[in-house]
Amino acid sequence: MVLAIEGVSKTFPGVRALEDVSLDVNSGEIHALMGENGAGKSTLIKIITGVHRPDTGRILLDGNPATFATPRAALAAGIGAVHQERNLIPRFSVGENILLERLPTKNALVDYSTIDREARRYLAMLDRSIDTRLEVRALSVAQMQIVEIAKALSLEAKILLMDEPTASITEHETAALFTLLRKLRADGVAIVFVSHKLEEVFAIADRVTVLRDGKNVAIGGPMAAMTRQKLVSLMIGRDERIAKLTERNPDRSATVLEARGLATSFGHHDVSFLLHRGEILGLYGLVGAGRSELVRAIIGDGRIIRGELFVREKPARIADMHAALTQYRIGYISEDRKQEGLILMHSVKTNVAVTIWGRIANALGLITKAAESRAITPFVERLEIRTPSLDQAVGNLSGGNQQKVSIAKWLAANVDILIVDEPTVGIDVKTKAYLHELLSEIARGGVSVLLISSDMPEMVALADRILVMHGFRLVGEVANDHRYESVSKAIMSRIHAVEDEPVAVE
Amino acid sequence: MSGFRRVLLLEWSGLALAILIGCAALAIFTPNFLTEFNIYVTLRSFCVALLVGFAQMVTLGVGQMNIAVGALGGLVAIVFGGVMETYGVPIALAVPLALVVGALGGLINGILTVRTGINGFIITLATASAFTGINFGITESIPFYKMPPALVAFGEQRIGAFPYLLVAPIIVTAFLAVFFSRTVLGRQLLAYGGNPQAAELSGIPRERAIVMAHVISGTLAASAAVLAVAQLGSAQPSIGTDWLLLSFAAPIIGGAALTGGYISVLGTTFAVILIALIENGMVLANVDPYWVQFLLGALILAAVGLNRWRAIAARSG
Repeated sequence: MVLAIEGVSKTFPGVRALEDVSLDVNSGEIHALMGENGAGKSTLIKIITGVHRPDTGRILLDGNPATFATPRAALAAGIGAVHQERNLIPRFSVGENILLERLPTKNALVDYSTIDREARRYLAMLDRSIDTRLEVRALSVAQMQIVEIAKALSLEAKILLMDEPTASITEHETAALFTLLRKLRADGVAIVFVSHKLEEVFAIADRVTVLRDGKNVAIGGPMAAMTRQKLVSLMIGRDERIAKLTERNPDRSATVLEARGLATSFGHHDVSFLLHRGEILGLYGLVGAGRSELVRAIIGDGRIIRGELFVREKPARIADMHAALTQYRIGYISEDRKQEGLILMHSVKTNVAVTIWGRIANALGLITKAAESRAITPFVERLEIRTPSLDQAVGNLSGGNQQKVSIAKWLAANVDILIVDEPTVGIDVKTKAYLHELLSEIARGGVSVLLISSDMPEMVALADRILVMHGFRLVGEVANDHRYESVSKAIMSRIHAVEDEPVAVE
Repeated sequence: MSGFRRVLLLEWSGLALAILIGCAALAIFTPNFLTEFNIYVTLRSFCVALLVGFAQMVTLGVGQMNIAVGALGGLVAIVFGGVMETYGVPIALAVPLALVVGALGGLINGILTVRTGINGFIITLATASAFTGINFGITESIPFYKMPPALVAFGEQRIGAFPYLLVAPIIVTAFLAVFFSRTVLGRQLLAYGGNPQAAELSGIPRERAIVMAHVISGTLAASAAVLAVAQLGSAQPSIGTDWLLLSFAAPIIGGAALTGGYISVLGTTFAVILIALIENGMVLANVDPYWVQFLLGALILAAVGLNRWRAIAARSG
């Protein structure tokens, strides 16, 4: 047993994060650490990596008690980690980020050719397309995640902790990561793997430890003896809600958004699609396919060079998000909740009401506290946003509740079209199921949803039709009968069909 | 958590405490402190300082900085004094004109910032130099002395210890308190300061938030300049040259977040009261006024340190 956690407890103000938690990991195994958001997984990872110190209990490395005063001490002891939050320096190159703690030097100067060579070695295990000399801030969220993983790999640690490494990467990259993890396992590395995607855990883990409300509900049982139902009930304390959503009947006669032959400044060309009233239209693609960029161009953050856009059958040129909201009644939820979705330092009230202040102001142009509460309370209640008060800073809420706040903001604004980009990344099973039902219900209410997701089961569960994007153009449309096997196969075949084609040059 | 610790966790609690202790100490050790005239003098210096602090507070709220607060104030002061002395423009017209010049200066700062994409700090550093250049170019450093008697009287008269001048900051304080807590634009400015990307993607127009913050900041700097002219009884080209440090000190000591998104009208007011007390105390104790600068620096560090401690204490319980 290379790593053992014995009876660890940790309390934060007002929260008992961990209570008498144990975990043991052998070398040459992949150990899944499961639990809902707020169950204490990340806290446990942070205790093992020296970010937090336990109040009670101990950490044993190869049987010897160990205490890490700082993350650096844990690193030195051979513990590498991919944390849930990003820990990259935006202005530094990919290579420098990967080798940050031990930049190679030559004649007392940083040796960039060695950095490139070394960094490329680790990066190539996952994705050959990322240039190690690029600044990290130029990368997409998924590419940043790949860099994080490469950085952890480069430590050649004997214990590797991965906190939701697949949260924002595609199936394709996930597959590459899993191949790599299996190889590391064969080399004797001990791997702790945290993920909300049950498919992944069943595909790769040898044993599983489950936390619920900061306590162990399972310690290191073999994965082979675990069923999906049993694991979920351990995590949430009751059986999984069936992902079968209530039937919807989109109004195919009414088109609310139409693109005809769009070309954008991001490099899209010939993009045409229809979005009907009350429909959930999926937009699926691998990383770098240009899905997020397409919707950013539609809402005015990027230029449309050619082609036409129609909103409710009238030609539309959307200048910015302000125009999108006020003139076209379009809402947009970014994939980057913390950076682009929410004002973390401000209250729940502010974050929900931000879209409707103009509407709830009284005759004098003033917003009263009462009017604000009155306007947002129904949405806070309907979405079951769990917060001690409306004045709580959104940064203190869990990821799932934060996402509910993002959705509430647009429901309050009463939009016709809601564009959601990766709505359930990093959100626990229960809340995820809730959000799926919620999006479905919103669509039933007549709102049209354009859904971007890399989560195939989510796409299959939610969408009415699925557009497939590859290389900044649409390469097919798949009717969704909600049968996972056939639909996912149909989608991937569209992508593979064009993958080897030469890219059209303008 | 001890009671004392809990009080310290409150914003501006430290300021209120410092003001109380300061007043008590001054009242005990300097017999002149509690005289009507001394209170009047202290309040008079408080008026301009508060408006200067507010001028910077507004730009800080939206995550910007206005280095041109003082330079714009100086320019407005000589335009205000100049049109009254040279063209005999009545006060009732000269005051709105001065405010418009301030708003225009802010508009230039704001538009340059949003259109060029250059950081507002750099833009206002440049316009500050330009405004000062125009100021000294026009006046050749010679003040306008012949101010209307009514204006001079307004700058001097008092009811008991309260100077007439105090009317302006009271109105502005009330306006700003309502503006930032209750109006759509005020809330939008703070939301933008709290997270520019998220605010923009929630439909708040970026350009309007930044430009309006600069316009309001310019107008407040202009109001400070008008008050300074009334207080001095002449339009000195040098008005505003010593505002920069004060303009940052007041909102920061008052608890504003340098990164934007959080400001405190009450905190800024308390901070200016504290600064005025320190200045007054130094004068009463016959200390060289340059030491006020030193104390101000120490106070900024103490305030920022307290805020930092508060953030950590709030997290660790």
